Amino acid sequence: MELFNIFLKAAFVENLVLAYFLGMCSFLAVSKTVKTAFGLGLAVIFVLGITMPINWLITEYLLSETGIFGMDLTFLRLILFIAVIASMVQLVEMIIEKVSPALYTSLGIFLPLITVNCAILGGSLFMVSREYSFGESVAFGLGGGFGWFLAIIAIAAIREKIRYSAVPPGLRGLGMAFILTGLMGLAFMSLMGIDPAALMGTK
Amino acid sequence: MAESTVQTVQEKEPLFGKKERKLITDPLNDNNPITVQVLGICSALAVTTLVAKALVMSIAVVFVCGFASLFTSLLRNSIPKQVRMIVQLVIIATLVTIVELTLKAVNYPIYKELSVFIGLIITNCIVMGRLEAFSMANKPWRSFLDGLGNGLGYGAILIIVAVIREIFGKGSLMGIGLIGAGDNYFINTLAEGSWFAWYMPNNLMVLPASALFVIGVLIWIQRSWNTKLVDIS
Amino acid sequence: MHSTGYIIRFTLIMTTIVAIILAGLFSVLKGIHSENEAIFNKRAILKALGDNLGQKVDDLSDEQVTTIFKDQVQQFSLNMSGEVQENILAEKIDMKKEKKKPEADRTLPLFVFEKEGQKYYIISVRGNGLWDEIWGNIALKSDMNTIAGVSFDHQGETPGLGAEIKDNPTFPSQFKDTKIYDDAGVYRSITVRKGGRKNKIHEVDGISGATVTADGVTEMLIRGIKYYEPYFNKIKKTSKIGMN
Repeated sequence: MELFNIFLKAAFVENLVLAYFLGMCSFLAVSKTVKTAFGLGLAVIFVLGITMPINWLITEYLLSETGIFGMDLTFLRLILFIAVIASMVQLVEMIIEKVSPALYTSLGIFLPLITVNCAILGGSLFMVSREYSFGESVAFGLGGGFGWFLAIIAIAAIREKIRYSAVPPGLRGLGMAFILTGLMGLAFMSLMGIDPAALMGTK
Repeated sequence: MAESTVQTVQEKEPLFGKKERKLITDPLNDNNPITVQVLGICSALAVTTLVAKALVMSIAVVFVCGFASLFTSLLRNSIPKQVRMIVQLVIIATLVTIVELTLKAVNYPIYKELSVFIGLIITNCIVMGRLEAFSMANKPWRSFLDGLGNGLGYGAILIIVAVIREIFGKGSLMGIGLIGAGDNYFINTLAEGSWFAWYMPNNLMVLPASALFVIGVLIWIQRSWNTKLVDIS
Repeated sequence: MHSTGYIIRFTLIMTTIVAIILAGLFSVLKGIHSENEAIFNKRAILKALGDNLGQKVDDLSDEQVTTIFKDQVQQFSLNMSGEVQENILAEKIDMKKEKKKPEADRTLPLFVFEKEGQKYYIISVRGNGLWDEIWGNIALKSDMNTIAGVSFDHQGETPGLGAEIKDNPTFPSQFKDTKIYDDAGVYRSITVRKGGRKNKIHEVDGISGATVTADGVTEMLIRGIKYYEPYFNKIKKTSKIGMN
């Protein structure tokens, strides 16, 4: 129940894009159509869900004073985290290519782009600063990914519709996407501070 | 991306010729990393509430971007293609950690405010994007200039946004009070018979969402005047 | 294409070089880092005194902060029953770690600042805001009831909303001259009230749009100040005996 609560919170209340504004670059660049947004969103869920527990193990058993090396190696944290993310993305790329070539071609360039999606690294850094347990970090990773997925689909749908509106030429495309995201962010502020556990009566 | 095709083998390259100058000036407008290439947005939103923060962030990005381009370009022929991305990220991450450790020693309060976002320079797509698109195929000096140029283009937007947000959101500039309630502001709205008694700072400008609005409007202004950038699709 | 052996060699050499550079820099700067951190925390503690310090904390140089701490501040570490722990230096107490311990095992820092014969007791509290932890230092006058000033800080509250507890000087300034006990001597703490304070002695105004952070501050104060109660009661008792 506690884990489900973290999942819901990460997906809706603490949405990585709309509440923290992380992972903006690919969010704005790859949200032109719902179809591509869907593919990228799925890949983000997957990568967040995998890298979060791995990075948890690294922090706990390699970098901390109680770990294998018995030294405070936190200054290596960023490098190790990003190396894990990059290798996971490359691994995922290889697996998908072998298992389902059709999905691979439809995802195309977006897969490697995930490496530099700051929602992934940001998620891992949040996990460290909030001191989640292993199970909680899995729930947080999946929830965060799911929230990102929903957000990118929402903005892609709006952008598909807005193409038929009379937007001033200078604002067309990118400019409008920025303003839309800003409005969505403001709307999401109304969810701030909601505790799903309290709503479900488990707290 | 356009630059990589410009690159031609020359007998003797000038140290700071026309092409080199273009590497610096191009990202300031026509090929700006934020408003045209849509790279590095996340940090642009978070650090632009105060000009001082934006300034420190810009300097850090210029440093990381310039030197990451330089080192990648120096190593470009010996980096194995299979692990290319990881090697690039390690170079960036090392430089970022150096910046982080140095800032922590030089200005601790600013480090406290920026710590998470300094870490996120690693995933600032500007750096990674320039390494992939330029440094892997160009000579060190030109790559270094390209990195610096893109860092500066990013910094320019960051500082414009920060100036707007700090003036309207906090009524100050670089921490010097311009208008607000109190003696430490240039125009004190609380003073007896003040003409500005109606004035309230706009709190919306402090929220992260406002940075998106400001950048959106900047894009609008830039494209109305530089019409070749308008999105036709 | 490079061979697998080459890739492994390349990665190994690169990792070693990077690790050596970073480890070197880290160990060189480590001393400066912890010194900076100590000064930063000391400034936050002095900031709680507000005007009573006589100077603005931001105008003080690092050396001045250290001197004030050496000359005018006494440090005590307390256990939860209010006994002074001799072998722990209060400024070395990591509140973040203490917060994770079970309540009975915690160690509390107490700083006593003395100026012109007036004593101020500065205590540290820590709690949860909307996104992450919030913490603060509270300066009490020598009656151990009236608040002389407070300073708050936070890990990641929203700028413009929750972050106002630190960024907006009007919020902490309201705490001046509020009291933690009512006239009957009952513990009341200070409440951050949404929609404006009704009671100037035990309440302060909330921040619009930051209800969760404000509730976090209230909760942190109620719980955090109470931890020091055993010690205060002891001091009050001994000073009464002293008067007789």
